Amino acid sequence: MEYLSTGKILIVDLETREVTEEELADDLVAGRIGGAGITKHLYEQHEERDPVVLGTGLLTGTLYPGSALGVVTAKSPVTGNLSHSPFTLDAAVELKYAGFDYVVIKGVSEKPAFLWIHDGIADISDAADVWGKDVWETTNAWRKTLGDDLIQTLLIGPAGESGSDFAQICVNYWASGDRFGLGKRFGQKRLKGIGLRGMGLFEIADAEGFVDRCLELLTQLKSGAASGKKGIGEIYAALGMPEVRDWLNSLVHRHSACFNTPFATNTYVYLDEDPKRLTEPETDDPGFKITELFGLLGLKKIGLSAEAACRLLKACARYGIDGAAVAELSEKADLKESGEIERSFASLTGSVTLPGKGIFSPWCPVGPIFSDFGLSRDASETEAWWERRQAVAYIFGIHPLFAVMSPELTEESMLEAVRLGTEMEIGRETLDGVIADLAG
Amino acid sequence: LLYHGAMNHFEQVAAINAALARGDTLFCLPGDAGLTPCSPREKGARPLFYPRIGIYAGSGTSHSWLWYADLFDRMGFYDLAFFDESAVEKRGLTDLDVLVVSGGDTFAVAEGLGPAGASSLRVFVGRGGLYIGSCAGAYLPMSSSKNPLHLFNCVNVKVKNLSRVLPEAVRMSHKFYSAYGCDFIFHPVREEVTVRTRGIPPFQGSKKLLAPLYGGPSMWAGENAEVLAHYEGFTNKTVFLVDRSLAEEILLGSAAVVRQGMGAGYFYLFGPHFEHPHFPEANKRIAETILWHTGKGSRPSEKGLEILEGKISAGFVRDLKRELSNSRIVAAGMEMMPLRWKIGDKLYEPEKIRVFLDAMWKRIEKLEKRDRIVAQGAQVSQAVRDGVATTGILRRIKGEIEEGHETLSTATELFVHLRKFSSTFLEIYFKTLAEGRT
Repeated sequence: MEYLSTGKILIVDLETREVTEEELADDLVAGRIGGAGITKHLYEQHEERDPVVLGTGLLTGTLYPGSALGVVTAKSPVTGNLSHSPFTLDAAVELKYAGFDYVVIKGVSEKPAFLWIHDGIADISDAADVWGKDVWETTNAWRKTLGDDLIQTLLIGPAGESGSDFAQICVNYWASGDRFGLGKRFGQKRLKGIGLRGMGLFEIADAEGFVDRCLELLTQLKSGAASGKKGIGEIYAALGMPEVRDWLNSLVHRHSACFNTPFATNTYVYLDEDPKRLTEPETDDPGFKITELFGLLGLKKIGLSAEAACRLLKACARYGIDGAAVAELSEKADLKESGEIERSFASLTGSVTLPGKGIFSPWCPVGPIFSDFGLSRDASETEAWWERRQAVAYIFGIHPLFAVMSPELTEESMLEAVRLGTEMEIGRETLDGVIADLAG
Repeated sequence: LLYHGAMNHFEQVAAINAALARGDTLFCLPGDAGLTPCSPREKGARPLFYPRIGIYAGSGTSHSWLWYADLFDRMGFYDLAFFDESAVEKRGLTDLDVLVVSGGDTFAVAEGLGPAGASSLRVFVGRGGLYIGSCAGAYLPMSSSKNPLHLFNCVNVKVKNLSRVLPEAVRMSHKFYSAYGCDFIFHPVREEVTVRTRGIPPFQGSKKLLAPLYGGPSMWAGENAEVLAHYEGFTNKTVFLVDRSLAEEILLGSAAVVRQGMGAGYFYLFGPHFEHPHFPEANKRIAETILWHTGKGSRPSEKGLEILEGKISAGFVRDLKRELSNSRIVAAGMEMMPLRWKIGDKLYEPEKIRVFLDAMWKRIEKLEKRDRIVAQGAQVSQAVRDGVATTGILRRIKGEIEEGHETLSTATELFVHLRKFSSTFLEIYFKTLAEGRT
């Protein structure tokens, strides 16, 4: 695969510690397009070794708006089904720039392992020194050892190591969109995590046409419904919960966006310093980056203050556990105090509500944000729309939250971008086929 | 027959070198378009020979010797050897046709080479070798009474940009001068200047050329020294470090390229960096100088060459790639830090680290595509060791910076390693290319 791609699939056998590469064939892309379309195919190919598959879309890491998505595909301990969870911030982009479109991780490592993917090289090394350490300590340790603060990490904390069904694969220091407990799969493989860094490039077939089209889309987005808004508070407000935004507001320090995503879906709150501070903070970790909606919402419902809820989410991120699951199960167990909730992390059990069909992570709200996409208020119509919208985002590599707030990013525009970028004639029929296959 | 119209300078010279390396017999004449292959029967036809070139990459050098490696790579001069001062002492220069010495700290280069190096250099040129020095490499063999430059008194040239009292710097005061005994060498301008050739072969015709000046000399040629080109003017890319009228006084009309014979050989001194990769016309003059002066020397065949094939070759290249990637990642992160080290007489910014690493990185893909890698026996393990050590030092320096420690001594160690690593890597690279051509 020559364009919009590194052309490489990395196969990692943790048991033998063998690392091999395969070419990403044009035929595979022509039939399965990319992202979840191909991670599912690779999962099935290596199914007998219970793999975890990471992947990017053809648009991931490009100038196409919202091109921040990577996908983790594995069997969910929560649903028992093959599921797809997102990873965003800069991690997906870094995977692609590090030289691989897809990574198949199979087998179980004898000892705790760290997979370091950089510039087309993959090294498996010992992770005994960080096994037992939390997500923050581990990311700090790896970045220090490897000498670069821009290294992106996908990793587990104690939750994943101990086999919690609600263990997340975290991104750097923060919660990811993993609501399917895929962190448990890392733990079962004794894979503490993955470091990603690369300075690679990829080619675009019609670079000028591709960039022009992306700029046109950006221009349209600037007059779209999400334009001028930013932060997680605005998403709550758009979902009919402006009181959550107001509840959080006094802690907000800044908002930040994932790679090339025109809406800042992440909000950084200050917990230990004045949120109005504009100069460098005095402490290393003055606060917490909120990267998901439902944990905070659930903790508010329990009755915690905004500050207590954010501190608890910070503890969830360090422990590597799904904050939304923690909130829901704590409410069911009638836990109301943040200390007792935190002490329950290790023994957290029960079933959680996961909207949707269990294929794509319901980290992204099931419904449109800011714009109505022309949908009626019929719930089944909305759910069907959401499943398809998520499938499209996971296939092409578009931020799932941004996908449900931007009707400008049509399926046709994504197909057109792929045509311009690759010179491959991938049509709606192929896309429909891949979506149908993902839906099972 | 060697050329076709669509070929650029680099391809033309590479075609000549490929033919010479095959053992073809070629003759040339100097023409308006440079050296042109001709029939041996033509009047003045000069036979061409494939040169063995040494690049000095030892103490005192900065990174500009890598520009020579780029030039030789693009022009098909693959028979290269990389020397530091100990290699000059051990191996001597006798099996070379050409020695190039580029920029850096002239005093440190002279000190590193010492009396033994100076003696080797004299013997080398006296026996017919060609010395090409640019910038610091041009200052090195000039007449001087200053210790240790006095060891190299080979070329009757004086420096015009020398002053007892420093003029006022209008910008970049940190890169504006270097001490020269009780005097100062000051640099009136940096970046692009124009020079004009004087029609003395191999610099045929009166041609205007562009080349960059980064501290190189403005020269007065004495007896026996020929001026091949003089500084003619400035461009809109010239950066003035002193008042423009003083820069004009110091540079314009003064010698930019000087040649002087010694015994059977020649010294060529270039004030500007004719080897800089952005100046193809100037690059071509370097190539033509080499081809013009290379005679049929005796070439002892290299002994102890090791050929790696198959998985061993792929594994070796992968090991190098791993360490280069690890090093580049740390180095790139350091480029955002406000750092600068003064090592000897030269200032080094973190960006310089990647100049060395990228000189190797950009060649890795070519090595990955080769089935066979050629190296001197010890070079294979040495290159990997150097790579691991370079990554280790970079990670150490990053840690020291973060902890607020002084980093000068680690940075000094780092640049020594970078020179060693890139020298070994490039030797392997060029040996592999040469073997591939045969």
